[in-house]
Amino acid sequence: MKDYLISMFIDNELDLDEKIEFVETIHEDKEFTDEAIELLNQDKLLQDDMVTIMPQIQTPVANVAQPSFFKNFFSPLAGFATAMTVIAAIFLFRPDPIVSNEEPHRFVIYLPDTSQAEIIGSFTGWAPVAMEKLGTSGYWSLNLTLPEGEHRYSYLVDNSMQIADPTVQAREQDDFGGENSIIRITMAI
Amino acid sequence: MNTIQTFYNENKDKLFGYLLRKSGNYNLAADIMQESFTRYLERYNDLEPTPSLLFTISRNLLYDHGRKKRNETPYEEDRHGIESNQENTYHVREESKRVLRAIQQLDDEEKDILSLAVSSDLSYREIAEMTENSEANIKVKIHRTRLKLKKILNRENL
Repeated sequence: MKDYLISMFIDNELDLDEKIEFVETIHEDKEFTDEAIELLNQDKLLQDDMVTIMPQIQTPVANVAQPSFFKNFFSPLAGFATAMTVIAAIFLFRPDPIVSNEEPHRFVIYLPDTSQAEIIGSFTGWAPVAMEKLGTSGYWSLNLTLPEGEHRYSYLVDNSMQIADPTVQAREQDDFGGENSIIRITMAI
Repeated sequence: MNTIQTFYNENKDKLFGYLLRKSGNYNLAADIMQESFTRYLERYNDLEPTPSLLFTISRNLLYDHGRKKRNETPYEEDRHGIESNQENTYHVREESKRVLRAIQQLDDEEKDILSLAVSSDLSYREIAEMTENSEANIKVKIHRTRLKLKKILNRENL
């Protein structure tokens, strides 16, 4: 039996003749059908959003200013520059991100299975401030304009679990056994 | 038209998915993804966007890394494994983590072709070329690997 047709079906590799064969086999062979369904469910796990942990690392990029005139004038060059900047920004997590205070700082965190996310930090007087759920994306976000200087904060998940910002490497233990992220806001040049 | 940006956006998640599935190591996957795009842009910037080339570069980098690690720092794996990263442990859903762990029990070739089939959007033909298999062979291998993974997952469920 050509049971590899199941994988070809999952990976969109069947040609029309093979599709006919696949449908006929499904119709006649219960075992084949069960196996196909089991493997499809397995692939749902395999293709699950293990990758969506990726975007949360990118959130600091939102604060990397891209001069727009540059892009318009030299688009191929700017494309390369932008790509490199994005790549650099994603991977060179600065231990101490420095961001402009001209625009609000955007805090974003990916918490797909949570019903409530709050931010708690030196700039909120250590009182929880609710974050906004971004549709069904699993992301929570909040814009805050922060004064110049160093700030400490963490996220409060479902009113019970405290986690540091995964996108910020600079951290510090607090006095209650948790961990706070540290960011420094400076004036834009 | 901003082809490099588009190319980057279209392929970054796929490439990261491939590297993470194959290596089971978040930090390593992020490093190699960065290095792969950098090399791709440096050397093949003038070509039409070619995802299979990007994946080939990544594959070689991961292979080099594996070789180097065996020679130099045999214990590095434990420090940088999926388990060691607190935030990721929290974010990657339990189920996906279980699958990632199960993939790591496959042999190297199986890890490679399954991660490519699942992550890359490359065709069987392209995967066959990359991995030096015939096209007839690769479909059987991919399917066998899926069945083997199923066995591993079922065993772990007991």
